[in-house]
Amino acid sequence: MSTAGARLSRVLGIEGLPIVTALVAVSAYFALTVPAFVDGEAMRYYLNEEVPVFIITAGMALVIIAGGIDLSVGAVLGLSAGTSLLASMHGADTVVAVLVGVGTGAAFGLLNGLVIVKLKLNDFIVTLGTLNVAAGLLVVLTDHVQITGTQDAGYLAIANTSVLTVTSALLVAGIIVAGLQFVLVKSAFGRMVRAVGGGTAPALVAGIDAGRVKVWAYVISGTLAGVGGVLLASRLNSVQPGMAGGYELSAIAAAVLGGVSLAGGRGAIWQAAAGCLLLATLKQGFRLMGVDPLVFSIIIGVCILVGVIVDRSVFRLAVSLGSSARSQAALPPVQEGRIS
Amino acid sequence: MNRASTPSHAAGEALRRRVLADPSIGILSLLAIASIVMSIVEPTFATEGNVTNIVNTMMTVSFLAIGMTVVLIAGGLDLSVGAVMGLCAGVAANLLTQGLSMPVAFAGALAVGAGIGLANGLLITKLGIPDFIATLAMMGIAGGVLLYWTAGVPILGYMNQTYYYIGGLTRIAGPITFPMILVVVIAVAVGLLLGRTRFGMMFYAVGSSPTGALHAGVRVDRVKIAAYVVSGLMAAVAGIHIAGRTTTVPPLIGNGYEITAIAAAVIGGASLTGGKGHVFGALVGALTLTMTRNIINLTGVESSWQAVVTGLVLILAVAANQAWTVLRARSRTKALAKGSAATSPPLASRTSRVHHPSPTPDDGVGSDAPAAERRPETIA
Repeated sequence: MSTAGARLSRVLGIEGLPIVTALVAVSAYFALTVPAFVDGEAMRYYLNEEVPVFIITAGMALVIIAGGIDLSVGAVLGLSAGTSLLASMHGADTVVAVLVGVGTGAAFGLLNGLVIVKLKLNDFIVTLGTLNVAAGLLVVLTDHVQITGTQDAGYLAIANTSVLTVTSALLVAGIIVAGLQFVLVKSAFGRMVRAVGGGTAPALVAGIDAGRVKVWAYVISGTLAGVGGVLLASRLNSVQPGMAGGYELSAIAAAVLGGVSLAGGRGAIWQAAAGCLLLATLKQGFRLMGVDPLVFSIIIGVCILVGVIVDRSVFRLAVSLGSSARSQAALPPVQEGRIS
Repeated sequence: MNRASTPSHAAGEALRRRVLADPSIGILSLLAIASIVMSIVEPTFATEGNVTNIVNTMMTVSFLAIGMTVVLIAGGLDLSVGAVMGLCAGVAANLLTQGLSMPVAFAGALAVGAGIGLANGLLITKLGIPDFIATLAMMGIAGGVLLYWTAGVPILGYMNQTYYYIGGLTRIAGPITFPMILVVVIAVAVGLLLGRTRFGMMFYAVGSSPTGALHAGVRVDRVKIAAYVVSGLMAAVAGIHIAGRTTTVPPLIGNGYEITAIAAAVIGGASLTGGKGHVFGALVGALTLTMTRNIINLTGVESSWQAVVTGLVLILAVAANQAWTVLRARSRTKALAKGSAATSPPLASRTSRVHHPSPTPDDGVGSDAPAAERRPETIA
């Protein structure tokens, strides 16, 4: 019993096993039942479409691991796309237009972080507020209509250049996910993020400036939303009000599916990205099967719930098995009150 | 209680305490000043049409804010109210277009609202999902169901004579509309429930200290579930009202209402840390937000700024709420330090008021002191 338990515990303790299994299973199912699914061109198209969500998912995962949440990323992404495209349309240099977009995102991230940390306000409410502010500013900026048509070929090339077989946008998304994962695992900052998310008090004891780490997490999340916005504007060459609304839900769902614990301190960027890939695959598969895309918001909601429930039960199971076989280095210690 | 040497000083002190104890008074004064300024600057503001418009719009927000206040008091948060309101509006409208009678259609909408509230409560208490995540997911689900079901096309053609009354578009007598009566009835009922019954006090107990409530024998889970059911029911009532007020149900009708509802509740004194808030405050919050939007519209500011202002108002309200708590705790400490020997009331009478969440505090000292005591964890 105990050896079987230990073995099961070891398997459950493998990082990212659930999400990778789910991803492989879903992809295999669609590949076998929907022939159009394996078409390279279609795959490239739908992956390209998901690039903005990919990028903000990475930022969202970082913020959640740091013990916060950022609901504003979708709206900030839309606003960044707007400011960047507008700058380019008014003849700004490619580099300037990119900086305007990324800067918009970074500014919102800094605003979120400072208000949450310095005024000690609820992260959920603050970012819900800035979500509204950013979405409203995009409406003001675009004056209720779609803006389109930059003449800058360099700007349009940012997201649409083909590198080997993938687009540059997808490449950027991949680099961001890999880079952020590396930072989280290998850098001092990453260790601090995990420590702060695991509980502010122990982090303080360890001499970490928890506030500063959190602010930086929000700045990174905002900056990535800015990058996503620039890539989106560059790919479409048009921005309309309400764009990217609801992306934050997809990002949270992806992070949760990827095993990022909403209690903070636990999770990996690459797994969140895998969660995002799973959602994108489901979306594409259902689309090819002729399911109404309007149903997708329901699927995301259900995925969030199922993801949280499964994560909690797997974690509990792993912990209860691990307590009988104490050799599990992969499992973090049970922290009273953090799981609930 | 604190009768100091000079009567005027004591009166000033009492007034200060009273205002500190209940932010609603300060907010109402600000709104009154804003109204006077607006009626001078902008003639259309004080017209009958505009005032009717403000009040009727406020009704929708009031229903949601009352429900949100109950959830916040119990230490939860319901992000699904906007989407649930939209879905319930859709259910009521759709059942009417299918020729069902009004009571049946409304019962259907209320059942959907209560059902979703129950689901929220169960997900949060029984499965231990964080409240904002469970209700965020529910927001996606409820919004998605309405969108999918209507295929993105607004529901039309369900209005009849009676529904114009329910939507507040036809008045009953003078300036009185049906929604006004309904808001007053519900506000009084929920207010009495919260302030005057054992069951109501449990909401405050659960919100202030779940562990303490549990040790005191309160069935914490049940109370929390009840709070979410109330919130779902109020969202359904708001849905029935808004379907009549706007005469069509576009699929995104409820978008953003959760933010308005939270902001209204928080402006009215509810706290995200739980255990605080009252129904009257929720109404004041609803009025504040509706008037702010109306003023934005009238002063010719682009209507697109509305979302920006709502977002800022939300953050400011939470910040002010936080500052208020600190200020109150400080004033209490000062009062205790100043008159600890001569004037402090017996400890027994103070603690006896701890779980007495009266919406209208009858004295200054007693009502602000326990409020700080009630939630030691938020001050620490």
